[in-house]
Amino acid sequence: MRRRNALPGPEADRGLREIEAALAHDPTADPDLAMLVADLDAVRPEPDANFLASLDARVHAGFPTERGTPRRPRGARAAPAPARVRRQQRLALGLSAALAAGVAVVVIATSSGGGDSASLSSRPSTVLAPSDDSASSASSASTSAGRPAVGAGAAAPSQRPAVETSTSSSSKAATTPRVPLPTPLGPSAPRKVQRDASLTLTPAIADVQNTADGVVRETQAAAGYVQRSQVATQDDGGTASFTLRIPSARLDDALARLSKLAHVGALTQASTDITATTASAADRLKDARDERQALLRALGRATTDRQIASLKARLADNRSQIAARQGALDAVRRRADLATVDVTVQGTDRPSSGGGGGGAWTPRDALHDAGRVLEVAGGVALIALAVLAPPAVLAALAWLGARGVRRRRRETALDRTA
Amino acid sequence: MELSTSEPTTARFDALYRETASDVFAYALTLLRDRAAAEDVTAAAFERAYRRQRSFDARRGTQRAWLFGIARNAALDELRRRRRSAALLADPEDPAADVRATGDDHDDAALRRAAVRAGLAQLEPRDRELIALKFHAGLSNAEIAKVLGVSDSNAGTRVHRAVTRLRKACHAPS
Repeated sequence: MRRRNALPGPEADRGLREIEAALAHDPTADPDLAMLVADLDAVRPEPDANFLASLDARVHAGFPTERGTPRRPRGARAAPAPARVRRQQRLALGLSAALAAGVAVVVIATSSGGGDSASLSSRPSTVLAPSDDSASSASSASTSAGRPAVGAGAAAPSQRPAVETSTSSSSKAATTPRVPLPTPLGPSAPRKVQRDASLTLTPAIADVQNTADGVVRETQAAAGYVQRSQVATQDDGGTASFTLRIPSARLDDALARLSKLAHVGALTQASTDITATTASAADRLKDARDERQALLRALGRATTDRQIASLKARLADNRSQIAARQGALDAVRRRADLATVDVTVQGTDRPSSGGGGGGAWTPRDALHDAGRVLEVAGGVALIALAVLAPPAVLAALAWLGARGVRRRRRETALDRTA
Repeated sequence: MELSTSEPTTARFDALYRETASDVFAYALTLLRDRAAAEDVTAAAFERAYRRQRSFDARRGTQRAWLFGIARNAALDELRRRRRSAALLADPEDPAADVRATGDDHDDAALRRAAVRAGLAQLEPRDRELIALKFHAGLSNAEIAKVLGVSDSNAGTRVHRAVTRLRKACHAPS
């Protein structure tokens, strides 16, 4: 484009006005110029009548091609521009919708295929922990879903497997998973089960102290006690850890209450059948007591000083033995009566409520998912742009270059005609 | 020029054709100085215009400017073809002008017109093109600017210079 916006000079401007006056047959126009205009009009070439007739026919026929290319029917008008635009818009809209649907499908497929750790791990997974009964490991190997194998249990009634259930990243509204307890084999043989739990709460950073207070409060409400506690709060967060002893009978209720204090990051429960251990301790205590009775009877029958001294020494040892075994039995019974719960409170940046992996699909979740879809769609569009932009720019440059060359060649042809 | 209006093409194109067919031919012949080539260029210009009707954008100029832009490209393509084939033709006589001249009773007028034809033949192709666009095709300076791809003021200046040179050529001794 050779455009110059400079105004014509005064002489050219005046000359242009005279030309326009002569063309308009203005009486005040320059007579010579008016005559020139008239002469130019007179010498204007006129087309030949035959040529005009031929061209007229071609125009009216719609310039049919020699190859018989189908043309628009005679009289058919081109589609109005707005209609064409609407058609193109509909086409573009349809393509956009198809692209968006494809992106959505990809996103959904990726999400479900990649695995949402929260949704997957929210299912309780049950594993078997080694029992303190050495023989129970054999039955543990054949047990699944936290349910002991009945056949193995029937073969060895006192051997019960330990069961562990863990839950991760569930919301605080999620139901506390129940630990399947070892099944008693009969009403005459009450089982002794040791229960342990590990709970990780992840409240907002500002809620760490409140959550820690809540842990103590709920422990006391469950008639338990805090065996160990450690709370460390800072401006940018804080942690707290507790070891709680809670009556086993109220463990489930206590865990449910504790889980409501904050978002549950992880929950692990384990049950260990200690019936055999308890029975063994009781048997050993009974043996010691039986031995004492026997020693006392022997002491009553002793006749010599040496026998008496020896029996008294053995009785002294027996007392110590009884005391130790009574202590051991009490300890085992406490393990069954009081569950041990390790609670960790870890402050996070996560909002204190909502947005969890569990629970119902809420509008907040929908908003989050929609944002994610838009992010992915934007990423796909960006990648497509990155792929298509360079060839498009090159094509545009090539088109502009070709156009410039063609224009220059045409102008050159005009100059060389002189 | 009377052309049938029997529904061949769009009404707008038909009106444009009827209005400008002889103007396009006059422009092409003035530029090419070859009647047969001018007829081919005229036909090619209208055919291209017919096929590209959808490309016309009223915001970018008038229909006449659009059509003459197409005709100019066709004429320049013809000039390029001619240059490649080295078949530069001589400036033919315009039979119609001869008829008009013989029918004129005034010798002065005939002489003047002969001088104008001679002056036109002496002009540079660019000047001759401007004369044809301005006086034979009747385009405004703005339309000429669109056809040539220059500014309005530049087009006006060029037209003024071309007319000045034509007047000098007409008054120059032959």
